[in-house]
Amino acid sequence: MIKIRLKCFSQVKYALGKNEIIFELENGASTDDLEKIVRKKAEGKLNDVALSTALNKKYISKNTELEDGDEVAFIPPVQGG
Amino acid sequence: MIITPEKLKKWLDNDKNFTLLDTRPKNQIKQSPIKELKCIIRPPDSIDQIKGDKVLVCQFGIVTEGMILENDLQNSYSLLGGVQAWNEFIKDKNDLSRWSRQTILEEIGIDGQKKIMKARVAIVGMGGLGCSAATSLVAAGIGTLNIIDGDTVDLSNLHRQHLYQAGDIGKEKVSVAKRALENISSHTKINSFNNFLNQSNAKSCFENIDLIIDATDNIVSRQIIDKVSKDKNLPMIYGSLYKFEGQVGVFNTESKIGYAELFPNNISGGETCEEAGVIGMLPTIIGNMQAFEAIKLILNLEPNLIGKLLIYDSLHHTTEVIEL
Repeated sequence: MIKIRLKCFSQVKYALGKNEIIFELENGASTDDLEKIVRKKAEGKLNDVALSTALNKKYISKNTELEDGDEVAFIPPVQGG
Repeated sequence: MIITPEKLKKWLDNDKNFTLLDTRPKNQIKQSPIKELKCIIRPPDSIDQIKGDKVLVCQFGIVTEGMILENDLQNSYSLLGGVQAWNEFIKDKNDLSRWSRQTILEEIGIDGQKKIMKARVAIVGMGGLGCSAATSLVAAGIGTLNIIDGDTVDLSNLHRQHLYQAGDIGKEKVSVAKRALENISSHTKINSFNNFLNQSNAKSCFENIDLIIDATDNIVSRQIIDKVSKDKNLPMIYGSLYKFEGQVGVFNTESKIGYAELFPNNISGGETCEEAGVIGMLPTIIGNMQAFEAIKLILNLEPNLIGKLLIYDSLHHTTEVIEL
């Protein structure tokens, strides 16, 4: 098992009700796997929200295998101005 | 009391009777002589013995202001901006003393201020972000500002859009903003565009512009700005809000990542400020961050947010910076 720290912003924070969550995932789990878990945990509140992914404070555009201790953020676009 | 270089020159031209005192240490006077002014060099503790009006000079106009206050000196004026501003005024008749508190900064100086005063910025959206960014840029002395918005002032805008007042409700935002900004400073040329940004008017809104501040409230406008920014090779300073949280980034310069790459999908993006709500102070913070990033780009100052996305949580006062 690996431990992953999820940092929550904007709609993700409001959908999950927390700033940060530690997930325990199977070895070999990826950012896409974590996104599916997060969306399920949000119980539909993120259905219409596109999420960009940052791994260890760096934007990534492709599904990436996670390692123990990684920090992930799913960043929604926001539009207020 | 203070006196600007321009006013001091008028006193000299009109042969007004006053004493000019250089309060600086001798080595500083030698290093940075004051141009075309004959000053009496006098230690600070003997100034109050001089009768009549006095103009006190130091390097940046700060020491003398303090000296007048601390010693309760009567009939005494501090030269705003000091020798730095005076010498610049003598050189090209340009009184920069108004910006003396920022020209004293090594990172800006007189040369930096001149760059700011030549710079041309477009702000798309004169809502919370736009009002704040525009106010700070005009106060900083920006040369030209294009403000673009087709909206009118609404009562619900007033808690966060500080260029508008209750009497402005129903009026075009850009017209009210232009007048309010011109009241802050007449040095900035303000061009107002009373239209929402679209594909067909984008090019004219961004003509002869150095950078674009994205202060819109919708994703479609951001996508248009992103495209024009890439096509015209203009940096895009992105800002956006959600409840208590703001995002800021500088796209399409050096880094290849722009708005379309960061949010590549057919996105909905959640609610606007009207739908989700927003705390009134947040656009002031984020809009000023955007204005500051504009100044950094103009002055080539580092570190900056080029190729980065900063997320600010105003409840916890925490920031997260993502490398793009």
